[in-house]
Amino acid sequence: MSYSLNEIEAVAKRAARGGGLSWGISEEAGKAVRWLTSHGLPAGEALAGLLTQNDAITTDKTAPCALDGDWHASDGALCPLGSGAALNDCAERLAAGTGIAMRDVSYPLLVVPFAAWAALHIAAQVAVSWGGLRVVTDGNGLFISNPDDALLVTKAPQLSCAQVTTATGALSQPQSRGEVSPSAWAALNNFAQRTYAPATEASRRLGAGAGASDND
Amino acid sequence: MDAALNPVSDIPQRDPATVMRLARLGSFHQSRMSFMRILTRRMKREGWTFSGPVFEIDANGVGHAVYCAHTPDRIYSLIAFAHDLPAEKRSDRVIAEAWDSTFTLFDGVPTEADIDRLRANIPLQEAGRVTESELSVSRANRSVRLWNYMVSCLAKGQQPDPTEVAKVGYLMRTTAVYGSGKLGAADREVIATRPECAAPFQIEMLSVFLTRTYVRDLMQHMANLKGGKRAVTLAPQTARSMGIGNSTGLGMAPFIVNHPMLFNNWIAAREEAIARVRNLAAASAKEVALFVGLLARSVHSAAQWRSDHPIQTAKLQELRQDMAALSAHVAQAELLSDRPWSRLYKWAVSNLGIDAQECLASLMLEPYGDLVDDLADTMAHTQTNTFRINGAMRVARLIGILEDAYGWALDIDWDAKEHCARAWYVSAEKLEPRLGERFEEPIAPFEQPLAPGRDAAALHAALTGWAPDDAIAAFLLTHPEHRHTVRRAQIVAHAPYAEIRDNTISADLLPIDMLRCKLSFFGATHFDPRSDRWVRICMFGNAPYPEDLQSDDADFWPYPTDSVATS
Repeated sequence: MSYSLNEIEAVAKRAARGGGLSWGISEEAGKAVRWLTSHGLPAGEALAGLLTQNDAITTDKTAPCALDGDWHASDGALCPLGSGAALNDCAERLAAGTGIAMRDVSYPLLVVPFAAWAALHIAAQVAVSWGGLRVVTDGNGLFISNPDDALLVTKAPQLSCAQVTTATGALSQPQSRGEVSPSAWAALNNFAQRTYAPATEASRRLGAGAGASDND
Repeated sequence: MDAALNPVSDIPQRDPATVMRLARLGSFHQSRMSFMRILTRRMKREGWTFSGPVFEIDANGVGHAVYCAHTPDRIYSLIAFAHDLPAEKRSDRVIAEAWDSTFTLFDGVPTEADIDRLRANIPLQEAGRVTESELSVSRANRSVRLWNYMVSCLAKGQQPDPTEVAKVGYLMRTTAVYGSGKLGAADREVIATRPECAAPFQIEMLSVFLTRTYVRDLMQHMANLKGGKRAVTLAPQTARSMGIGNSTGLGMAPFIVNHPMLFNNWIAAREEAIARVRNLAAASAKEVALFVGLLARSVHSAAQWRSDHPIQTAKLQELRQDMAALSAHVAQAELLSDRPWSRLYKWAVSNLGIDAQECLASLMLEPYGDLVDDLADTMAHTQTNTFRINGAMRVARLIGILEDAYGWALDIDWDAKEHCARAWYVSAEKLEPRLGERFEEPIAPFEQPLAPGRDAAALHAALTGWAPDDAIAAFLLTHPEHRHTVRRAQIVAHAPYAEIRDNTISADLLPIDMLRCKLSFFGATHFDPRSDRWVRICMFGNAPYPEDLQSDDADFWPYPTDSVATS
């Protein structure tokens, strides 16, 4: 179904929060899903898959242990959102010519928007590579070499990110709408639902502040 | 800033520590920078024309109408669906499911097929879906007493008493105007590059502007059908006095916290306008005369302003007294030389309450459209790079930002009940923002991040023990729970008006302060709180109708002339 990008961002942010991520990472998850769906990529599906997979896992288990060497989680796979956020936080390393390598990354597609924001910051193209696939972005546009099943894998044993020194060909530009499948939309909304407080009589009466009559 | 461009003697923008307190934000008044006025000035300047190609509404008041606004480059169409709403279903609350009229602003001119599609969706509001061709979705309910009174008068061949009309001020009030991608409509990004959309909320304001014309026409239509040959046309002067009401609930309060850059840009534009005018070395007699005339009209407006809410009643009493004192002072003050506006403003700070200070701050911009109106185009949020966290920032720098921008919050005992008595949450029932009592309701696990002061204090505490030279990226790796606060702090370092510098979860928080601040930027007047968390206002009251835009004043209309009697 076609959604506005604001709708997609809003539900993705709430879903990420409902899935136990911090508010800050959830904000970025919303923008990441928005960015990818504007390029026609099934990011709503990826986020729903990630949140389902990591539902019982605390985020300290899925964050990079340290920002030195190859990034890896303390136990299990890296979360692409926490890792992506750290990647963007460290964008200057890419500008300095140092690549960032990660081991065992869940839903690697979700790392790409963070690389895009790093690319905007350093004003250069950045490539993210995994499973024989190379995704290049200048922050707005996107180029995917040999798009195949690897794009949508649920885990990449190795992922690397580096500044691109020789400019890539034509990048596809974002669209103003996005598609999310009904099942992914429902899954995201189920996670989002966890952020909503169950209504009580008191909240109905007081919470929105009904006081004086509104029918006059 | 370059010292040569900003000599020491320049009066700077007002200190955010003063401006961004809730009591002051809750005393803001409309100004030249208000979104309704930006729109009406543009419509006149660019010579927009208007047409009403469809008006198919039956004797029960059911049908649809289309009103088109023709800009130099394109056409926007308000499609209005009129309904026969049973009285028991009429509610302004967001939880309502039926309305007297429902609307969408269409990008272009709708075909019959578009209207058929929208007829199946717009009347459902939140339960319907729209497409990228639609720019807004809204609804409105009648003010039943005034509607019935006016229809009845006109049908009988009588003009309604302007005093009765003034008691309400509008025939319908909108209860939500959704834009920016809501319900599947076009995102703001789709229209943001159009010149007429450069300032914020221009689409929503245009929708309300056209809605006002539709409502006037619908009421006349019903009176004509009821009265037949006896019916008369509403006196233009009475029609002119009427605006569109609006009921605004809590939802707007989180908006200004959730959009810190946008909020900064609104406040910064007005503050820059104030600073520019305060820096004027002299004023001409003509400029002073314009100011004095509008001051008198402001006094009149304050006299017309009605509210039964005790907080607003007290504020109004003080405002009226202060406006009288300001008028008396202006009558004998020398306003031509020696930075007259800065002197007048300083006098107000020493002698008047906050409400009148802010009224004056807005008023003294009025003679200076040439000096300040360009700031309208700086009010949107276009700096998308501000979302990115600068992970290379050092801990010492972040601590410095926190102590500067959130100093007010660092000494508060955030565990004390009175300082964190409230919590913002979203209800599962209607997905609407609500404000609850943290210690009386089971809402804390669902709290939204709308207490930046408390969160900044927590971040400040968490940074203790980190070395001054440590990078924020490393801190955030182990403290993702502070990530949203780091983002806000880095924003406020560059955008000093981005943050409300007050406690948004205290026991004595008045959400109506946040609502009034936002609505003043829309251009609303006559705020009428109905509780501490929802407020009624009037939009476009005294504004020209589309057919009068070119012949009438399209700028100073928020200041009523004394043609309408007060009671």
